[in-house]
Amino acid sequence: MSGESVRLARPLTRLATDAYETTTLYHDLRKPLARYLICLGLSADEAQDVVQDAFVSLHRHLAVGGSHGNIRSWLFRVAHNAARNQQKKYERRFSATLGAELDSIVHEATPEHVLLEKEKLQRLRGAVRLLTEPERECLLLRAGGLRYREISEVLGIAISTVGDTVERAIKKLAEKCDV
Amino acid sequence: MCDFSGRLIAWMDRELLEREREEIQRHLAGCPECREQLAAYEKASRAFDAYCEAVFTEETRHKALRWRSVAGFAAGIAATAAIAVLLTLPTTRTAPVQGVTPPEAMENAAARTTDPPRVPTQLDVAVEAAHTPAIQLKRAPRQYIATPLRTRTEKGVPRQRLPQVQIQTLTSFPIEPSIEIAIPGDAVFPPGAVPPGMSFTADLTISADGLPEQLGLRPRFAAFERTNQP
Repeated sequence: MSGESVRLARPLTRLATDAYETTTLYHDLRKPLARYLICLGLSADEAQDVVQDAFVSLHRHLAVGGSHGNIRSWLFRVAHNAARNQQKKYERRFSATLGAELDSIVHEATPEHVLLEKEKLQRLRGAVRLLTEPERECLLLRAGGLRYREISEVLGIAISTVGDTVERAIKKLAEKCDV
Repeated sequence: MCDFSGRLIAWMDRELLEREREEIQRHLAGCPECREQLAAYEKASRAFDAYCEAVFTEETRHKALRWRSVAGFAAGIAATAAIAVLLTLPTTRTAPVQGVTPPEAMENAAARTTDPPRVPTQLDVAVEAAHTPAIQLKRAPRQYIATPLRTRTEKGVPRQRLPQVQIQTLTSFPIEPSIEIAIPGDAVFPPGAVPPGMSFTADLTISADGLPEQLGLRPRFAAFERTNQP
């Protein structure tokens, strides 16, 4: 009898389904989450830690029967709040990191690229700096594929506010990109 | 500027109701000014996305973002899965009085946690004899120790030995961790269906892409094994 595998009883199979769900989500969302955090100014290591923690929290959340509704914004909210806790750190770094990074991207591009990309990225950098923090956050979440409703859940603001903020931000960027 | 220009971005993001969406669609067909504006918004939007991607790529390129991914995350799953199994077991015994922790159990648990890690290429989550309705969890870094609470007994009556629960994760994670969870048979099967003292080991393999690949139960005699423990 020992050594033979038999079919699992219900509780474990249910858990396996949850684990499957979580790992699939992990596969799909770890990059958008990490990108969001890094664009907020976290380092790659910090972002990775936050993402890991967010997914472990999610698994606990599901394991104790937490809501399966809108997990994407749940994850972004957990990650966002973790980043908020390091706000001092990331506020300080935000402008510095972006500047330094963009310069090195520009340096390593091909010569033809340099002229085009450098100009474009410089303009963008200037434009992104002009955005307010909520505008930046809304655009970053939007770039992560979140709907306005999800963004409103992550940031804890009204959907109409998200719409207005995104509009203002895009208009600012469009103006700067057009110059 | 026409009346529609304020809704172009929402339209672009597909955030409008169908009726409004169609209205704007029709308007765009006949308004070059709005089309031009929309093109500028789309360009700005794409530029911002590219900018995010550039920042992400740059930050992660040198660090070679090593997702502890499968391994690290699987460890999290393993721990929570094991705990959840315990908590979802049917409880047939009367609930023990809270707050009484047997000293020898704590000693035993402490002694085990100092055991040298076994094969480092294996993630071990061992849960022994889980059939207990009240479990006390103590959290230590990357280690979970659960000690079942003991029923208070009358003076002079020997205390009934309740099983201990221990979940242990190693800090270095393999690519394909194997998780071991032991569950007493009568927690899974109807009473009397399995001989007393028998438990089952559930094998759960998580593949490299993070998906559980294999699930199986292996029966074993927990009572026999337990006597082998010092």
